[in-house]
Amino acid sequence: MINRKKILPYLLVSPYVIHFILFVAFPVGFSIVLTFHKWNIISPMEFTGLNNYIRLFNDKTFLKSMGNTIIFLLIHIPLQIIFALFLAEILNQNIKLRGVFRGAFFLPVIVSGVVVTILWQQLYGYDTGLLNRLLIMIGLDKVGWLTDPNIAMASIAVMATWKNVGLYIVLFLVGLQTVPTQYYEAADLEGATHTQKFFKITLPMINPTIFMVMILSTIGGFSLFIEPYIMTGGGPLNSTVSAVLYIYKQGFFYYHMGYAATLGLFFAFIILAVIMIQKKFIEKDH
Amino acid sequence: MKILFHIVTIFFFTFSLISCNSSNSNSRDEILYWCSNNSDEIIFARNITDRWNKSNPNDQVKYQAVPEGRSSEEIILAAVVGNTTPDIYSNMWQGDVEAYAQAGVLIAFDTLKGFNEFIYERCDSSVVKEIKSLDGHIYQIPWKINPIMLIYNVNLIKELDLIGPPKTYSEVFTASQKFQKDFDNDGYVDRWFGYSEVEVTWWQRFFDFYPLYLAASGGAPLVKNNKTAFNNKYAIEVFAFLQKMYKKNYFSKEKLSARQDVFLSSVTATRFTGPWEIAHAEKFKPKGFEYEYAFMPVPDDHTGPVYTYGDPKNIVIFKTCKDPQAAWNYIKTMIDENGDLKLLSLTNQLPRRKNLSTNNFFNDYFLKNPKMKIFADQSEYVKGTDASPVLKEIFDLISQQYEACVVYGMKTPEQAINDAADAVNLLFLE
Repeated sequence: MINRKKILPYLLVSPYVIHFILFVAFPVGFSIVLTFHKWNIISPMEFTGLNNYIRLFNDKTFLKSMGNTIIFLLIHIPLQIIFALFLAEILNQNIKLRGVFRGAFFLPVIVSGVVVTILWQQLYGYDTGLLNRLLIMIGLDKVGWLTDPNIAMASIAVMATWKNVGLYIVLFLVGLQTVPTQYYEAADLEGATHTQKFFKITLPMINPTIFMVMILSTIGGFSLFIEPYIMTGGGPLNSTVSAVLYIYKQGFFYYHMGYAATLGLFFAFIILAVIMIQKKFIEKDH
Repeated sequence: MKILFHIVTIFFFTFSLISCNSSNSNSRDEILYWCSNNSDEIIFARNITDRWNKSNPNDQVKYQAVPEGRSSEEIILAAVVGNTTPDIYSNMWQGDVEAYAQAGVLIAFDTLKGFNEFIYERCDSSVVKEIKSLDGHIYQIPWKINPIMLIYNVNLIKELDLIGPPKTYSEVFTASQKFQKDFDNDGYVDRWFGYSEVEVTWWQRFFDFYPLYLAASGGAPLVKNNKTAFNNKYAIEVFAFLQKMYKKNYFSKEKLSARQDVFLSSVTATRFTGPWEIAHAEKFKPKGFEYEYAFMPVPDDHTGPVYTYGDPKNIVIFKTCKDPQAAWNYIKTMIDENGDLKLLSLTNQLPRRKNLSTNNFFNDYFLKNPKMKIFADQSEYVKGTDASPVLKEIFDLISQQYEACVVYGMKTPEQAINDAADAVNLLFLE
């Protein structure tokens, strides 16, 4: 009886433990081991010491991909927050067809990323894209949305914002609805303007939501993959190679498994560091 | 009782996982042949296998299309890793063979009875040299090719008052200039002489740089004995030619492949492509549309035959095969004259064998399919890929310089080829 009582809890947690060992602990451990090896999957592993780490710090394309990811985040996160908050603020008002608009803005979130990417690829087309056709109609020059290395990443960031903004609108709507209406009533009595109410009441009250959106956008932004993979393949001139796309290419195009694992591990630490810094800010704020 | 139930469940779960890893090679007696999952090739495999099985009751072969996946290359890789490879695989890209040979998962054909006599009868010595691995063994049989050539719109070329398709770079420039049009006078070009994907993906260079390089150089290698061999005037000429095509807007920089077929809709007059385009064009061409194929354009001072890339797909036997000799005997019937004629008639793909265009055995087919005749003529002058386990990286490095120089004009052709060569040499040092 005593033995049974002792064993039963272990048995109950065993499915999770087995799952964790097989699908988390083992792959993580294996990839750490891989970072010290050269392995193309089909040939035996070859121990190379710290070579992969040395290569990483000398790999200009990887450093460029990190820079590209940061550029993406710097455009995408502010854009995401501003648009989502602006639209949430409007959709929180008593406007006509509010439900329809809320649904419409959320629609891109549930549409497959591949579909959205192909759609935007058509919009961004240099010679035949709708955006450039419109620019020509109003007498402006065409823009190489996806073919100009200085613009391509910004174009992807705009598309990613359009795709994800619906989700963050919902989060902001929840945040806005938790702000007690008494504050606004009091402000009205004091004769506060709309802008004053927004900056003095709304923004401070939904600060936790803003930080949550920031963290989610950061994590989502770091994992940028589908958009450049389909739209540009990382070009032009590697200007849209995100870190994840580069790791994927190293692993599954060229089968440099050891090097890909090294890049993956390094990148995981970078994400961890950024999230920790953001967390510190949140704690400080609270 | 409950504990017993949990233990049994865990045991069953663990056992299932372990069994997933076991090879399937020991559980079959017949020879397993994986063909491509292209429907025409499945019919071909069925045809050949039925014929074989009727006359060889003791060495039965089972054909099966390569399992569905993102690409057959990935499926084969997964099969190699999982030790679940078939005995025979017939759609192996030549560039992949060296890596598999070095990994020791392929049977060397030259160790099998009757192979050496057969291969020299089927192929020229240059082809045999091309398929030889770095260790001197042969791990693949040249099977089929789809040479890259210049497809052109006959009516549009006639409109330009040209006698035929352009043959040299100068002729291409002249034709391109005449063809380029801005229909709506908005200051932007609406039709281009040709089109090639600007994507930096390594294999896109099979449809522009590589066949043009082979054409210009008379079939020179890219790498030889683990050293760069493309740092030469031919590669520079090709980069310069293509750079001008993009600079002058004779080729569009936009990704046009996502819209309506630009060649069939006369937005472009030419394209670098293979014989597979025939079936597509026949199905979708508008009324009155006429097209033909021509050799790849070459530098103005070029002499001699015009080579191109043949996109060769070869046959291999994996080491999991229990009876390689029987597998080889089966392959022999698959690629004899009858087998090759079946390949031609069922799939419209060319067998890689010498004297294809002059061999009377195939005459009827080419009379019935005149558009394939030029490919047969070209088949005497095709090249596959060089034997190197890092071929994809080499093409990727060339492709990156291609983008910087050809598409964006940020480097001179000399500089770009030099940088690509340096990077490839560095790759070999690693």
